[in-house]
Amino acid sequence: MTAVIRTDKLTKFYGSHRGIVEVDVDVQKGEVFGFLGPNGAGKTTTIRLLLDLIRPTSGKAFVFDIESSADPAAIHRRLGYLPGEFALYDRLTGGQTLEYFGNLRGGVDRAYQARLIERFDLDPSRRFREYSKGNKQKVGLVAALQHKPELLLLDEPTAGLDPLVQQTFFSLLREAVADGGTVFLSSHILSEVERSCDRVAIIREGRLVRVDRVDALRDLAHHQVELRFSGEPPADEFKKLAGVSDIEVEDHLLRLRVFGPITPVVQAAARLGVTDFLSREPSLEETFLAQYGREAAEVK
Amino acid sequence: MAVEASRRPIGQIATVSLWSRFYGFGSVYAKTIRDSRLAFIIVAGLLGGIMLAGCMAFGTAYSTPASRLDLQNVIDNIPPVLKGLYNNPVHVETLGGSLSWKYGPFFGLIAGLWSITALSGTLASEARRGSLDMVAAAPFGKRRIAVEKLAAHLTGMIGAMAFLAILTWAGSAAFGTLPGDAVPIQGAVGFAVWVGLIGLVSGSVAWALAPFVGRASAAGVAGAVMFGGYVVSGYQESIPALRLPADLTWFHWTAGDLPLAGQYDWLSLVPVALIAAALFAVGVVAFDRRDLGSSSAIPVPAMPGALLGVRGPTGRSFGERLPMALAWGIGLALYAALIGASSRSFADELAKSPDTARLFASLFKGYDITTGGGFLQLLFAYMGYLIAGLAAATLVSGWASDENGRRLELLLASPLGRARWAISGGIGVFGAIAVMTVVAMLGVAIGVASAGSDVATPVAGTLILGLYAAAAAGVGFAVGGLFRNTVAGEVTAVLVIATFLVDFLAPALNLPDWVHQLALSSHLGQTMVGNWDPAGIAACAVLAVGGLLLGAWGMTRRDVD
Repeated sequence: MTAVIRTDKLTKFYGSHRGIVEVDVDVQKGEVFGFLGPNGAGKTTTIRLLLDLIRPTSGKAFVFDIESSADPAAIHRRLGYLPGEFALYDRLTGGQTLEYFGNLRGGVDRAYQARLIERFDLDPSRRFREYSKGNKQKVGLVAALQHKPELLLLDEPTAGLDPLVQQTFFSLLREAVADGGTVFLSSHILSEVERSCDRVAIIREGRLVRVDRVDALRDLAHHQVELRFSGEPPADEFKKLAGVSDIEVEDHLLRLRVFGPITPVVQAAARLGVTDFLSREPSLEETFLAQYGREAAEVK
Repeated sequence: MAVEASRRPIGQIATVSLWSRFYGFGSVYAKTIRDSRLAFIIVAGLLGGIMLAGCMAFGTAYSTPASRLDLQNVIDNIPPVLKGLYNNPVHVETLGGSLSWKYGPFFGLIAGLWSITALSGTLASEARRGSLDMVAAAPFGKRRIAVEKLAAHLTGMIGAMAFLAILTWAGSAAFGTLPGDAVPIQGAVGFAVWVGLIGLVSGSVAWALAPFVGRASAAGVAGAVMFGGYVVSGYQESIPALRLPADLTWFHWTAGDLPLAGQYDWLSLVPVALIAAALFAVGVVAFDRRDLGSSSAIPVPAMPGALLGVRGPTGRSFGERLPMALAWGIGLALYAALIGASSRSFADELAKSPDTARLFASLFKGYDITTGGGFLQLLFAYMGYLIAGLAAATLVSGWASDENGRRLELLLASPLGRARWAISGGIGVFGAIAVMTVVAMLGVAIGVASAGSDVATPVAGTLILGLYAAAAAGVGFAVGGLFRNTVAGEVTAVLVIATFLVDFLAPALNLPDWVHQLALSSHLGQTMVGNWDPAGIAACAVLAVGGLLLGAWGMTRRDVD
């Protein structure tokens, strides 16, 4: 596969303040790549470096095999971008705004633009300042998608969108990928990444802490297990088992967390006369919290 | 099932210190005081500085009884049409009387501008931005928020006026050269009270309107009321049609209150104070009763679609700046038309007094001020530079708002390069300046044509205002591109004001000639009468084009904010 995005020890400091430190990621053609991290972790900094909106302190970023600062216009021609925070022209209507951004790219397929507007249920005749936050976000999304870019760089794209529009957005992402596109999506909402991404990179305090397939992350995750016994739970028997932690006893109920294979716990429970067994598959969100600490994840 | 709320153990609650309730983050009042400290320093410094400079200049220039007598004769012989922008001349042979006559209204206008800017925006713009929602969610009512915001501005105004009173008193004592020059405490305080009240009543209009029409419209209406009242009141003596509307202006009501000249009319201040208080109350109640952040902007005709400029960055920049350019152009045009149209009346008055005519001829060498162009050169050109320069500052701010408003990220994510964005946007700004200049030229043409003077020369001379504005904008582009766009407009405005003050004060203060030469506007000739200075014109062109190119180069080298 071809790397659409590649960074090499990409580092950015704002004076003495840390932006990102030696970030190495590669995003392959045709995948939806999630960039996950708490607020202030460096997600937006990374995206802005890819776009050459800011310049690296050290390291390099390549998009379409072009170094980001060498020929940014050539990169921009092939991508669509939605910033995390943006403001547009108050006096222009949504339609005029989209026309302008289309014109900056030499024109767009009007029929496709109209389809996007329809699918997002956007009224293009209203002035930008009159839109709600969600509708402003829709304008930004249509502007990013309307020229059918090869690469979508989306910084927290679902902010302000209601669940129905989010569904539309995710189905458009799938269509973009089916057409050969690539998506780089930053988010601090884990369920969003879990739902839409093939691979995920987790960034914390400016450093990448993990890059893996979403499935792989989930496989490595813990299980939250509740065991009910008729008598006093034999907690000591479970403490001996590999991967078991956070054991709590409450009357006849034993709660524990299992990292790795769950089979030894199942076997021990059967041997020790368990009366009820409940194992919950963890969400990516819980995985993330367990792995990197609750304080690191400001999740919605 | 009954639900019993559990009480969580909590740590010790930090108390709010008394100091932070007055300055800092302990209350809405304290935060507003803190936020407005820079504006306070600027306004107090400006007013105090002008007063001190004025005292110094007068003391130096008129240090003998004979020179005072000459001054009084000159002022006594000035026809009403020329007196329009000044106060009533009372005891102009004294330092206080002379300053009151020449500069008095400007103090009130500066204080008014501050009040309008602050009081139109303190609630309305914050509400529009959304930050007020969080403040309003605190456990006290909206009325209290409004009152605290208002109280903070009143505190700032009182502080600035106290500073002005002290400097007036101290400056007149330090720089007065003849008996009667020292302004007594009562006079200094009385003058500061007048300035403060004029400022507050102007601001109260904006305060009362802002909850209904939003910040921009409220500030626009309040500014029009203030400047309109000032002009109407000033010119009512020479233009009979203005006498009726003049009766409705606080400038006219308080025209007899000249504390610096030793003439007091305290009673005239009462209705001004009452109106301000009533409008403040309207604003508080309106803010309390209306939905937070909802306002109905005063409807203005929409721009034709073709002028919105959605075809490319140059057209977009031009389309975005066009309403502002038209507004500045119309302001300049009205001002120019008024001055130009008055030139015939002035010439007629001057013809009745050959002595005064000779005096003016000796004062304004090189051109005839009785012509339309000459009169415009005398009363329009210098103020025109200031207005055109400030217009450039606002247009540069608009150019910079692509980055400051976080639009630039989206724009630069298209194949539009940074340098092209900067240059295209700059060309759009130059286009807007051209529109402003053309509108101003129309005003000049109408004014001098109605006075029966030569039209071509002053109309061509008005081009210099556009060139000067383009030069100021060039400096703004360079600052924005090389350093930060957040300060581009402000630096341009400061440069324009500094240029105006240097050009205005350096001769008055007998400063070395090289100081006066620092002002770009001192190198532009007298274009309203056809005297062009090629060096100044070349300097403007270099600043405009060079500044834009420098800014574009800077943009390619720095991070986008």
